Amino acid sequence: MAGSVKTPSKSMVGMGQIDFAHPSEPVRAVLGSCVGLVLYHPPSSRGMLAHIVLPEAAGRQGPPGKFADTALPYMLEELQKVGAYKSCLIAKIAGGGQMFGGQGPLQIGKQNVAAVEGLLQAQRITLVGSHVGGQQGRRVQFDATTGEYHVEVAGKEKVIL
Amino acid sequence: MNTPADSLVRHPLTRFFHEATLSAAQAMRQWTSGSVSLALEEVSEIPLESVSQEFALDDELLTMIVHTLDGPMGGQFILAFDEQNGRSLAACLTGKSVPTDSEWTDVERSALQETGNILSCAYLNTLTELVGEEMVPSPPYFVQDFGASVLQQALMAQAMVRDDVLVCRTRFNRDGQDLNWNVFFVPSDPLRQALLTAAEEPLEETRD
Repeated sequence: MAGSVKTPSKSMVGMGQIDFAHPSEPVRAVLGSCVGLVLYHPPSSRGMLAHIVLPEAAGRQGPPGKFADTALPYMLEELQKVGAYKSCLIAKIAGGGQMFGGQGPLQIGKQNVAAVEGLLQAQRITLVGSHVGGQQGRRVQFDATTGEYHVEVAGKEKVIL
Repeated sequence: MNTPADSLVRHPLTRFFHEATLSAAQAMRQWTSGSVSLALEEVSEIPLESVSQEFALDDELLTMIVHTLDGPMGGQFILAFDEQNGRSLAACLTGKSVPTDSEWTDVERSALQETGNILSCAYLNTLTELVGEEMVPSPPYFVQDFGASVLQQALMAQAMVRDDVLVCRTRFNRDGQDLNWNVFFVPSDPLRQALLTAAEEPLEETRD
């Protein structure tokens, strides 16, 4: 963070961004109330991570990864371009926390999770792993070689979805 | 009136945040017997999706004291340290050596929470005087988490209604040396609007 001048690595997926995970380069994100949605195609080992900030665009502009209802269609389209068709896709999600305990003014994390789950269900994409909610942030990493989605919460054991 | 550094990118709210930071700096100098001060680093209004890059948010674990502003004039005031700097400050304030245990003691937590109280009260009292809107901070909330996660949550109140987000960042130094401490102030959208409205009016008085 500030004070120590750093540049986020190329594999870091920032808020509102979507990126492919390449076999030699896992993608990472740090999540609070945002949701990190992974779509993975096991037959081809192709997969993407979206860092979703809000549940729906409702006409607002922004990169497709910013909103759940624009991120998923974009990911499906991009995956289809590389031959990763929807019929074999699986999904994994993490994030949607409610930081600051009960003192925060918003429950946006829950809304993000609900929106992503609903959209996946509508698209008939199986959600095979989920690590959501709580009051802490998460550091996640998705490796397309293995399909593993690593989720770290400060002070706790790493979870693999 | 002292002015912000020339290098500071000018934003309509710079003068308010500069004044608030001056008050916080004065309080911090008193609290630390003159060794630690702070100055306004940046006032940014940028697209949400640029925040990670703009603030070089990585996956560093930080120790933070968070104050949430209650009421319509909402927002978050976040005092953030890396582990080493947080422990050093706590040791300095409690008059003890930096402990080697990984667990924070209640006394250490309390020392940092009080630091957050002192800074946030000075900062927010000045903004209250300038804007004429009451800002009521919550008790300090001790957080050890990923810095990007906490800032992300703090930005949500703005992100829900706006495409750009306003963040005010402050840097610290001890005896002239920069410290890896930061204050992030993230006003809610109603507070941002109130600040902008007030900024359109000339200041009634200036300070040295």
